[in-house]
Amino acid sequence: MPATAPEPEVILAAAIDYLERELLPTLSGYHRFQTRVTANVLAQVRRELALAPLQENRERGRLEALLGHSGDRDSLSRELARRIRSGSIAIDDAALLDHVRQSLVEALRISNPKWIGE
Amino acid sequence: MSLEVPKLAAAVARHLGPPGEISALSRLTGGATKSTWSFDALVGGERLALILQLAAAGAAGPTAGLVRGSNDAALMRAAERAGVPAPRVRFVLDADDAIGEGHATDRVDGETLGKKIVSDPRLAAVRPRLAAQCGEILAAIHRIEASEVPFLSAQGPTQQLALYRGLVDHFDHGIPAVELGLRWVAENLPAHPRTTVVHGDFRNGNLIVGEDGVRCVLDWELAQLGDPMADLGWLCVKTWRFGGALAVGGFGRREDLFEAYEKASGVVVDPVHVRFWEAFGCIKWSIMCMLKGLGHRRGARGNVEAVAIGRRIEEPLLDFLDLVTGRE
Repeated sequence: MPATAPEPEVILAAAIDYLERELLPTLSGYHRFQTRVTANVLAQVRRELALAPLQENRERGRLEALLGHSGDRDSLSRELARRIRSGSIAIDDAALLDHVRQSLVEALRISNPKWIGE
Repeated sequence: MSLEVPKLAAAVARHLGPPGEISALSRLTGGATKSTWSFDALVGGERLALILQLAAAGAAGPTAGLVRGSNDAALMRAAERAGVPAPRVRFVLDADDAIGEGHATDRVDGETLGKKIVSDPRLAAVRPRLAAQCGEILAAIHRIEASEVPFLSAQGPTQQLALYRGLVDHFDHGIPAVELGLRWVAENLPAHPRTTVVHGDFRNGNLIVGEDGVRCVLDWELAQLGDPMADLGWLCVKTWRFGGALAVGGFGRREDLFEAYEKASGVVVDPVHVRFWEAFGCIKWSIMCMLKGLGHRRGARGNVEAVAIGRRIEEPLLDFLDLVTGRE
């Protein structure tokens, strides 16, 4: 893609802007609701492009500290899930609760920042 | 999903009488697992205001055991006899109608959007009474004779845990927060729950509310035989508060719900028992969101509403953590 082309986040911002400012006020009922949802999911993609790489790194760092060894984020997360399920880590463990909460909060920063009051 | 007017007119004429002429047909907001249509129908000399509910083909989520078609109608009729404001069934679609699975009910005016119910100034006067009214209605639902609805499946806390555990294992994505939730549920199962008819999806968003209060309880397809406290807990799940500050559907206080329920049913409510179901409700909703999301991964084509629900998995998981760690 040439460096002259608008980047994904610019395209998304333009699409969201049209839906929210121009189209939405003209709609009612079913299509108003669906258009609202459409603008919301596009905004999620926009936030994901901006935030996901950094969050993945931080999550991997927390998992490595919790599990005591390195690895990629997905396999570390699966290992933690297995440990929780088997009972080898207590579900009231403070470090575990901290990590799980932090991961949820970061994911919500992408999918729905309003849920965490942001 | 589309609905052909001539077929609908023919169905009305067959079940209710001619001419069956249809007017003001519109698709209503919402309905991720089914479609809901509003229309007027001419029957004899009378114009009836009706709602048609059609099951969506291939709806996501644990669909086995859903109460549908004639069973759904039979349940709503039993509920009405028990004093529950349930939709009045006019007819049930059959194979000859060639429209699909569903039924027509009388249309009840009022607000169904959860967000409006917690914030619309027109409902300000009645809002403080809604939680108590929900308690009374739930007591009536839990009085429905199980023998009148023999098609309902038994879903006590242990069976529900097994159901959701099985769903998570089937997809095997190893999500720590979900595992934590399922462990907590397993360790906190209620010891000796009662078994009654439960609505299964009694929440803000499934109620029609007017200036005089709750006019109708919708969406009976998740009904089952189970722990009645499940209905009280589900009504308090934060997702169904639609931004409202109060625990019961965003519009009322837990104490008002419990007190009215106790008075109407004669059964003492243990808040810890209800909290179990609120916490389990968060986990169940997150798993439903997960299933919805999995149905719309690469290669699939879905509608935007279903895709959006697939992205909501973390909301109830955080609510669960807040609830069980005492932050809420």
